[in-house]
Amino acid sequence: MVSRRLLLSVSAAAALFAGLVLPASVQAQAKQKVSIASLAFVSSAPVFIAKERGYFDAEGLDLDIKIFNAAQAIAVAVAGNDADFGITAFTGGFFNLAGKGALKVIAAQSREEPGYNFVAYVAGNKAYDAGFRSPKDFAGKSVAITTIGSSFHYNLGMLADKYGFKLDSVQMKPVQSIPNMMAALAGGQVDATILPANNALKLQADGSGKIIGWVHEHTLWQLGALFTSSKHVQQNRPMVERFVRAYQKGLADYAEAFLAKDASGNRVFGAKAEAAFPILEKWVEPKPSFEVVKVSANYMDPQGRLLVKNIYDQVAWNQAQGLVDKSVDAKSFLDLSFVKGHLDLPK
Amino acid sequence: MAEPRTRIAFRGGGFVLGNRRWAPWIAFVIIIAGWEAASLSGLLPALFMPAPHEVIAALRDLVNSGKLGNHIGASLYRVLVGWALGTSCGLVAGFAMGVFSMARAAGLPVVAALFPIPKIALLPLLILWFGIGEPSKVATIALGVFFPTVVSTFSAVDAVPRNLIRMAQSFGLGMPDILRKVVWPGALPGILAGFRISSSIALILLVSAEMIGTQVGIGAFILGAGNLMQTDQLVAGVVLLSILGLAISFLLSLAEKTLLRWR
Amino acid sequence: MRLLLRQVGHHYADLPVLEDISLDVAQGETVAIIGPSGCGKSTLLNLVGGLLPLQQGSIETLGAPPPGCLNPLTFVFQDFALLPWRDVAGNVALALEHHDLSRVERDARIQDVLALCGLSDFAKALPKQLSGGMRQRVGIARAIAVRPAVLLMDEPLSALDAQTRELLMEDLLAIWGRERTTTLYVTHNLAEAVRLADRVMVLSRRPGKVKTIIGIPIPVLERGKPQHAAALAALQEDLWQSIKIEAQVADREMLGEAQHG
Ligand SMILES: Nc1ncnc2c1ncn2[C@@H]1O[C@H](COP(=O)(O)OP(=O)(O)OP(=O)(O)O)[C@@H](O)[C@H]1O
Ligand SMILES: [Mg+2]
Repeated sequence: MVSRRLLLSVSAAAALFAGLVLPASVQAQAKQKVSIASLAFVSSAPVFIAKERGYFDAEGLDLDIKIFNAAQAIAVAVAGNDADFGITAFTGGFFNLAGKGALKVIAAQSREEPGYNFVAYVAGNKAYDAGFRSPKDFAGKSVAITTIGSSFHYNLGMLADKYGFKLDSVQMKPVQSIPNMMAALAGGQVDATILPANNALKLQADGSGKIIGWVHEHTLWQLGALFTSSKHVQQNRPMVERFVRAYQKGLADYAEAFLAKDASGNRVFGAKAEAAFPILEKWVEPKPSFEVVKVSANYMDPQGRLLVKNIYDQVAWNQAQGLVDKSVDAKSFLDLSFVKGHLDLPK
Repeated sequence: MAEPRTRIAFRGGGFVLGNRRWAPWIAFVIIIAGWEAASLSGLLPALFMPAPHEVIAALRDLVNSGKLGNHIGASLYRVLVGWALGTSCGLVAGFAMGVFSMARAAGLPVVAALFPIPKIALLPLLILWFGIGEPSKVATIALGVFFPTVVSTFSAVDAVPRNLIRMAQSFGLGMPDILRKVVWPGALPGILAGFRISSSIALILLVSAEMIGTQVGIGAFILGAGNLMQTDQLVAGVVLLSILGLAISFLLSLAEKTLLRWR
Repeated sequence: MRLLLRQVGHHYADLPVLEDISLDVAQGETVAIIGPSGCGKSTLLNLVGGLLPLQQGSIETLGAPPPGCLNPLTFVFQDFALLPWRDVAGNVALALEHHDLSRVERDARIQDVLALCGLSDFAKALPKQLSGGMRQRVGIARAIAVRPAVLLMDEPLSALDAQTRELLMEDLLAIWGRERTTTLYVTHNLAEAVRLADRVMVLSRRPGKVKTIIGIPIPVLERGKPQHAAALAALQEDLWQSIKIEAQVADREMLGEAQHG
């Protein structure tokens, strides 16, 4: 407790000091107003951290974080110039919108990474008792997902490809929201569902379902990204560069705080996590406990590098399902020039 | 000198609603032509609103895919069953409240408290009670239809002229006869007017009802298209919904014409 | 059938509207009831017809109802009270359907009263297609279809224009020419009272009390003859004198109520 309070005051003093020693030129000139549309989730934590620790201010940006409650609306807001940046998960809807040329993906957000529990496959008790113990056995099961074309849908698609079952044989039950998915599983309406870690663990703790595996144990992929409008990329390139730099600092802080592992490979949440926690408390809804943050802190590349080939794969998969227009080309909405060293580039 | 002669000028024109059958068609054509022109000229960016020809193409794709019948059939089933269920329960409750002071005293505050609850907010509960199959969808629509039907039936019964009821009593008609021969036909205009509202509500709720656990149905189609940002398909679905609404409205007009000839 | 009213009184909440009304109506007699607005005439009729619960006094009928009587105490209403969704025959049928009549019998009765009221050609017409006079003919046809023992008529002609009223009065007299029914006839129109009634009961202003009862000694069917005109006019004047002062005071009271109430 003492150490945490001490840390807080030290960091406050550091911020103050930074403010004093900043070059007068940067301080004096009016900061440029920019906005980002985001969900109030832990997966937007790097933005919150960078904002609270003044990394955007240091780049001369006055950032306004607009909280949305649906991923869809974020992409629409950026496409419609209601926000300059957006940060959220990829969906079929996102690709369709991006394919119309209004959006550019510039840096990474969450991804599935070995050793980091993020999204779980959860079996209902009845199905579990009947022998449903592995994500390899999804064929013939009914599965609650949010919507067709959602990341949960894609998870199943990847499993089907990897383990050679027919996706058609899985009965997809779109129920729109995560609470509905949990209710459907708890009420025995479906055999399985796919949930973020904190929801999955809660369901398991309540005895309403059993976690039968984690996505990262089976398939690795890029869940979300930071994006902006094509207009900004063309006309305000320096501003976008400054924004990405601040975001990367936020990412680095986040990684240090929440993605650390000890020598034996177990995740540890030390002083840095505790120092960053108040920021999440302030921004994340519903207000998380430290324990919740520990299970929902998902992996993000510390430098914002994307798994590029996977994005091409996602577009192709959605097109094969008839969810994304054939004319959409991943190449046209990716701008890989803002972050160096993107991963797994397609040949 | 001759007296001044003034011809009387007609000044009683206007304010009379004539029959202009072609007017709605012209309005439609003008709106759609204007919309197409705005889309083609780039005034209406494709990102925000698909052009009419794209919507028509989406409709044609839907027809060609052979899924149109499935969507319409599934939705029609849910709307009809849900509406019939909500309406029949609403009629009974509304009648009771219109006739028995006890039912009215007990029912009015309950209706006032439950009517404004958005039925979508109850969706998780409905899923727990009825599952994610057809029953929860039908229940959503039935619940949405029930309350306006209660209110319109109750006020329609209340508006039946008291003197007709006293007349029937003075001729010695019993309660069941009075309900059947006086109150019911007297309330029918108000009840049919209520049907217009409740059938619209049923269509509005179709989209919410089909949010859960289904991929067939016009509402599910619209939702899916919205989630995937396929705006042309979204608008095509909305057009289907409007056509359904027009068809229902036409049927109700027909019912009014035959049942209320006496007005 | 005779009708006996003994010390009938009535009040709505704490508003007394009738006090101490006693009246014997002989079999086949028509008693007109006149009185200022709001003095309780309709209330009295509703008490007699069993549409209001009796609070004070007694109301009884004496004697057997006429043969074929289905509804001894039968109303004819000022506003006709026709079901707009039923045609003329249907409106008459409403009064008969719930009784144990064969179809043939019922249809015969309907035909009969429609003919009597000059409505045979309008059996299939809806009320909205009829003039006011025609509508009240339907009301009367419906009333006599049940062969009532006592007719309770509450201003039956007051919604009609003067000419139609005249025609309907003649119709009523013609119907009564066949068979006289014991009748209570509420009206504001003194000419009507003098023309149709055997006796006229004048009520005071609210609370209504019997102010006077005036007999009309000329046989009903002869009142149209010119030699009775002067006598009838004199009776009408008598009635007017007895009611005028009441009406004036009642009007002022109403104004006062409107201003202070
Ligand atoms: N249901 C009721 N509740 C309370 N007051 C009533 C009710 N019905 C009538 N009254 C009052 O009782 C009084 C007598 O009413 P009633 O209708 O019997 O008068 P009326 O002699 O028929 O009048 P009118 O000549 O205007 O028809 C009036 O002052 C009226 O306002
Ligand atoms: Mg009256």
